Amino acid sequence: MRRPRTALLLLLPAVILIVVVLVLPVGWLIRFSLFEGQSGVQAAGGLTLEHYSRALTDSFFLGIFGRTILMALIITVLAVALGYPLAHFMWKAPARWRGPLTILALSPLLVSIVVSSYGWIVLLGNRGTINSLLMWAGITSTPLRLMYSEFAIVVGLTHIVLPFMVLSILAALERIDPLLAEAAATLGADARRTLWHITLPLALPGIGAGTTIVFSIAISAYVTPAVLGPSGPNFITTLIYQQFTMLFEWPFGAALAALLLAVAMTVVFLYMRLLSRAGALGAGRHDARAGGRAGAQA
Amino acid sequence: MSRLLRVIVGCVALFILAPIIVVVVASFSDTPSPEFPPRGLSLRWYAHALAETAFTDSAINSLWLASLATLIATPIALAAAYAIVRIPFPGRDGLQTFLLAPLVVPSIVIGLAVLLAFSGLGVRDVGLRLVGAHVLITFPYMVRTIIASLARIDAVTEEAALTLGASPLRAFWHVTLPLLRPGLIAGMVFAFIVSFDNVSLSLFLASAHTNTLPLAILNYAEYNFDPSVAAVSTMLIAASLAAALLLERLVGLRRVVGG
Repeated sequence: MRRPRTALLLLLPAVILIVVVLVLPVGWLIRFSLFEGQSGVQAAGGLTLEHYSRALTDSFFLGIFGRTILMALIITVLAVALGYPLAHFMWKAPARWRGPLTILALSPLLVSIVVSSYGWIVLLGNRGTINSLLMWAGITSTPLRLMYSEFAIVVGLTHIVLPFMVLSILAALERIDPLLAEAAATLGADARRTLWHITLPLALPGIGAGTTIVFSIAISAYVTPAVLGPSGPNFITTLIYQQFTMLFEWPFGAALAALLLAVAMTVVFLYMRLLSRAGALGAGRHDARAGGRAGAQA
Repeated sequence: MSRLLRVIVGCVALFILAPIIVVVVASFSDTPSPEFPPRGLSLRWYAHALAETAFTDSAINSLWLASLATLIATPIALAAAYAIVRIPFPGRDGLQTFLLAPLVVPSIVIGLAVLLAFSGLGVRDVGLRLVGAHVLITFPYMVRTIIASLARIDAVTEEAALTLGASPLRAFWHVTLPLLRPGLIAGMVFAFIVSFDNVSLSLFLASAHTNTLPLAILNYAEYNFDPSVAAVSTMLIAASLAAALLLERLVGLRRVVGG
């Protein structure tokens, strides 16, 4: 049972699945993006790159790309700021807290995105919890516009991506030799010095990996911008959706999707480079591609 | 541990749990719109939600879809993971990356690509394209969990069975599979969740007649603001929590999610 031919046979269904449902359709999508127009469900007209040049030169579209990238960057920074302390805490916590803390850290991922989006509507709405609290406290007399804004997108997406950042950082922290901190303490370093000079530098590969994966999840998220964001195309993904479902500009929408795919794949490639440089071998490398929940969830 | 860290972590925990807590609390309110804190308590929105065919019909669709996707993905993933872990062959690393590719392609791109390609090729069956796409995105999670579990099972036990005259299939069935069971079940549970919760694929591939529960919730919430959505959500949260506890017990959540 150990022969390469057996391996081929065992792998065949998986390869067929990926070719039929992923490789072929994505190829079809890219082919679609190179045609001038469409007739019915088929691409039609001559071959052209005009959709790509339109996407990359029109200031309206460039504006949306810019906003998307800016929001994704803010989300990534927030995820590091919130994720590092939690990962550090989980790392130091006694073993019996591990289970509950893991469930806490991963809960944004386990709870349906539709559910948490609804939760943000209840919290951020004009008559929502936060506005009620602010008005009750006399901080504001009219409700602040928190929902259906870029602020809401950033909040909702930071929530969704946080588990990936925490897991990345925690994995790096767990590779740190505990003797290092002890040695630092013996040599007279206080907790803050140990954090700055030992722990943080060694956690950096984890932060780097988390940053790339979180960024790629954020830019390809659809549900959060669609539900929590301002109306109209407010994010690259909602722009793509609009091209397909409302404007029926399929070749152009396909070109936008191909551009998004290219950016996401580039970031994931960087992520894998970072991980292999961080020296995470074997298991680490396939944990790596966890990112996927990326698309899958958000 | 320093007090500052505890305070920060407390705030992070609040941020993580806030949207979940308000949904649960709002589901028990007796007002026609969700309020937090609620003015009175009642279970009427649960009754309302369970009587709403938009939710019940789509929930049945989602259960079918997630079950089918998981059951189809399981043998495919099991065979592939076994080959990756136990049989040395050239290009193994590259193939493993290829198997996990559905995780790195944004799911909005997968949804669109499948929609365009399948309709372009004349495959109009909504069920078929939904199940196909859901198998595609659940399968890598199972491959990963099974690879991680298999790698921890010593190949020697299986070899012993082979030496004692068992056929390879028999050795796998009676020796490796029982050892693999926790990892396999964990992978299946997580795959089920991934499929059940999916929005961005179903959004493109479902139809008005074949809707999934997350899509039904989104549609309903767009036009109605009553707390029945909170009631449905709370039932989903309870199910997620149960699944999380099960996964943590079986193999540890982190190994399933990957990290």
